[in-house]
Amino acid sequence: MEDFKFLFKVVLVGNAGVGKTCLVRRFTQGLFPPGQGATIGVDFMIKTVEVDNEKVKLQIWDTAGQERFRSITQSYYRSAHALILVYDISCQPTFDCLPDWLREIEEYASSKVLRILVGNKIDREDREIPTFVGEDFAARHNMYFLETSAKEAENVEKLFMKIAEDLMQQARNKDLSRYECSTTNITARTSSVNDSSCCSKLT
Amino acid sequence: MSLMKCCFDTPEVSDIFESMVQKCTDPGCCCGCCSALRPRYKRFVDNIFPINPQDGLVKLNMEKLTFYSLSSPEKLDRIGEYLFQKAARDIYRRRYGFVIIAMEAMDQLLVACHAQTLNLFVESFLKMVQKLLESTEPQLQILATQSFVRFANIEEDTPSYHRRYDFFVSKFSAMCHSNEYGEARDKIRLAGIRGLQAVVRKTVSDDLVENIWEPVHMDKIVPSLLYNMQDSAFYLKESYNTDIAPEDQIDSPLLAETCMRELVGRASFGHIRAVLKPVLRHFDLHKLWVPNQFAIHIFRVIMLSIQAQYSYTVVETLMAHLDENSKSSPTIRTSIADVLSKIIAIAAGESVGPSVLEIINSLLSHLRDSVRHGINQKDEKQYQEALINALGEFANHLPDYQKIEIMMFIMSKIPFPLVDNNTPADNLLQSILLKSLLKVGTKYQTIHLNSTFPVSFLEPLLRMSLAPDPDMRLLVQKILHTLIDRHSNLEQLIKPTVNSAALALTLETSSRPDLIFINKHGAMIYDALYTSLQMNTNTIENIEAIYTTLALLCVELASAETIIDLLQLVLGIQNLALTSADLPTPQKFNLHAIVASLFVLISTIANITPLSEYASKIVKARKKEAPHLLPDLLSIYPPKAELANKLPHLVIDQMAVCEYLKSSGFDSTRLMQTSPYGAGRLGVTSGTHRHSWVETGARGSIIEIPATQEVDSASSSPGVQKKLPEEELTFESMKRVLTEPPEIRKEAEAEKREQLSHIFHTATFEELKCRTQPKHDLLQNKLNEIFKSLSTSEVHQSPLQLDKKHSVPVYEQNFPELFLY
Repeated sequence: MEDFKFLFKVVLVGNAGVGKTCLVRRFTQGLFPPGQGATIGVDFMIKTVEVDNEKVKLQIWDTAGQERFRSITQSYYRSAHALILVYDISCQPTFDCLPDWLREIEEYASSKVLRILVGNKIDREDREIPTFVGEDFAARHNMYFLETSAKEAENVEKLFMKIAEDLMQQARNKDLSRYECSTTNITARTSSVNDSSCCSKLT
Repeated sequence: MSLMKCCFDTPEVSDIFESMVQKCTDPGCCCGCCSALRPRYKRFVDNIFPINPQDGLVKLNMEKLTFYSLSSPEKLDRIGEYLFQKAARDIYRRRYGFVIIAMEAMDQLLVACHAQTLNLFVESFLKMVQKLLESTEPQLQILATQSFVRFANIEEDTPSYHRRYDFFVSKFSAMCHSNEYGEARDKIRLAGIRGLQAVVRKTVSDDLVENIWEPVHMDKIVPSLLYNMQDSAFYLKESYNTDIAPEDQIDSPLLAETCMRELVGRASFGHIRAVLKPVLRHFDLHKLWVPNQFAIHIFRVIMLSIQAQYSYTVVETLMAHLDENSKSSPTIRTSIADVLSKIIAIAAGESVGPSVLEIINSLLSHLRDSVRHGINQKDEKQYQEALINALGEFANHLPDYQKIEIMMFIMSKIPFPLVDNNTPADNLLQSILLKSLLKVGTKYQTIHLNSTFPVSFLEPLLRMSLAPDPDMRLLVQKILHTLIDRHSNLEQLIKPTVNSAALALTLETSSRPDLIFINKHGAMIYDALYTSLQMNTNTIENIEAIYTTLALLCVELASAETIIDLLQLVLGIQNLALTSADLPTPQKFNLHAIVASLFVLISTIANITPLSEYASKIVKARKKEAPHLLPDLLSIYPPKAELANKLPHLVIDQMAVCEYLKSSGFDSTRLMQTSPYGAGRLGVTSGTHRHSWVETGARGSIIEIPATQEVDSASSSPGVQKKLPEEELTFESMKRVLTEPPEIRKEAEAEKREQLSHIFHTATFEELKCRTQPKHDLLQNKLNEIFKSLSTSEVHQSPLQLDKKHSVPVYEQNFPELFLY
């Protein structure tokens, strides 16, 4: 039961402590881990969503924000279909670093990668970066923009769904369907097995 | 049911049923009969699952399934696909017990079935592994890794061009950095390393599948391995007993190291850099250079496992990294250089040809840069130390003939001329390069002096021994010590003593080549030593060092002929101490002391009894009356210490020496003759300040040519205004040279150079010949003229000015072809 039509790799980047892991956890597991420690290296999650009645599998690579892991995290940029660049709306420095991140993305990611700017932690009172500043920055650099709260589950679902839809659109346009279904292709023969399995659910 | 089974056993029939089932859209309608209506392979597969997952795989049915798939291998791919689907569903429903059973079954099938039929089955197998890896359950991830490792150990005979491993590399690398809590974390990390190891094993040997050496993969694999190694303190342990731990108890750092070794060991030349780059990057980012134990450990691992012929690439890469770090703090650079010094030895054994000089050159240029940028910083000094160490280590492991090459190479890098208006940086660089030379020299084991000291090496070295800076002179002497000393007598001869009989010296009759060598170059060496004793900047250490050099020469090259030469020199030194006008009194005493020591030493070694007796008589007398004329050397002597001039009976008498020599059957005529050191011209002050090069040149030694070159090349050049005012070697002119701003001199030089080259570019050969012809006589005249002017003017010159004189005509060497005539 290879149950997806598309497979997309999404990589989250951004300074340490902006809430990348929490966003992923919220989306994949529906929970907000309160005492989430700093990510080491890279973490991996998977989630299958449905867009236009098609199943889309999202491989989500959650990278460490700490600089010392930069070498390993950068190596994940290249194969990404979408890059989510996260900053913390209540922390100016995380926003100030965005140009650096963009430079890194330029250098290591493929040029066609879908880039999304996310301002996280909108549940917090002490906002430092107004929405329009983020919007502005995103517009200038040709990125999508969204403000989210992993804690309140605000816009998280929307963020990933948007990515899935967009990537699917892209894939359809370029007729790159099922590209890089990483290890295997479903052959014609095995799909016939697929069809006959209606009863097997009972076993 | 059994009835049904036997009725519809043939596949064809079951296919009919299958199509019937397909039409049946309501899943509930045919549940009762499905198990009977499904294809046979499905029934086999279903039967291996127990009702209760705790019961584990149903062994008997598994055997049946294995037998079935062996007998009808064409069904294998379908079995795989079916198993995968079942497992995927079970994962979704979190029935992990069944998933584990499915995986186990797949493992068994994989192992049991023949290679040629596996290809399609492997696809579902890998899909299954991936599925398990994607789950968040640590247990499943570990299980999947185990299966993957098993798969990696199978030899496939059909290549699969489309199979890709990038997910596995990505996922295993992520597992190496597991963020789980508690025990699961270590297990997952270990599994991650195993997985990476398996991927590497699987892909590295097969050119047709994915290229694991791509930076995409290496940038993930290498940091993951390093990350697992750096956390433990295990690398601090000295022992390298990797093969003791059994497979299952192995801990992640150890396994990561094994994996690293394997990876590096398999890397070919083109791939080494792909491995090294992430290593260096990782060290930079994780700030692992300081302290550098881990870096040393890793680089040792790399050096020891890399294919030997590529090992110098590692050195090169590390060197390049040093370049990139030229802006970072000296401590980091020191650490890198230290790592270099620790591993360079391993590379030295394998590097040959140009790579050796390349490495040396690169080290030297780092030294130079360091000298240029920070002169007085302590950290910078340490960095230089570390570089010199690296150089020494490297040289240590090269064959001897290459060491000489290297010494000459370093020599050629030392900035000349050694004038005292050098910038401090130049001076520092000189002394640092000398230090490196010394370092290399100490690693060198001299066998024949003539192979150790080719003229092109000896000459600049001796010239260096007359440097204005006493520390530098000391370094040169030390280099000479280490190169001359072949019988480890250095220890005993480091301090002058009059009790040389008590020294346990190792003696050996000198070989013929050595004697030829000393005949040829002795004069030059003695002369340099003598001249350097004239420097009034000498410290006690300098004088002692010169003593040691002479003593070593004496010990190494004892023969009738050298004895005479040495005695001549000793008397010359005594003469210098007696007559010199500008040496301070303590230095004169020092000179007397070393003269006495050398005299005793020479007479002991030459075994000339009357001479020894004479020597001991003098020593005894001095002990009684003038202990300040004996070692140890002091910088301040008691005020009542009398000058030796006033104690003629305590001075070694040349005539007496000659007598004793004659009586022992030595030919002392040479000693009687005019000594080059002014010994025969007692009291003639002009003898004390001689131009050493001219002198040795006059004595017909090999360096005559360079001497004439320097003094006279411009004058022998045809058609030019014969000499510029600067070249008149009078005191006045020297003074002018020193006071005049260098720009003017340079301008004149440049002009002259231009004239010269112009003439040689435009004039015909015949013309040139005519022009040069008569100059041969002129050359001689000119020489004589110079000698004359020297002897009149040099009384007033300090040795420093002499050096200056060397420096003036260096530009003339731009036209070496002029001397073809």
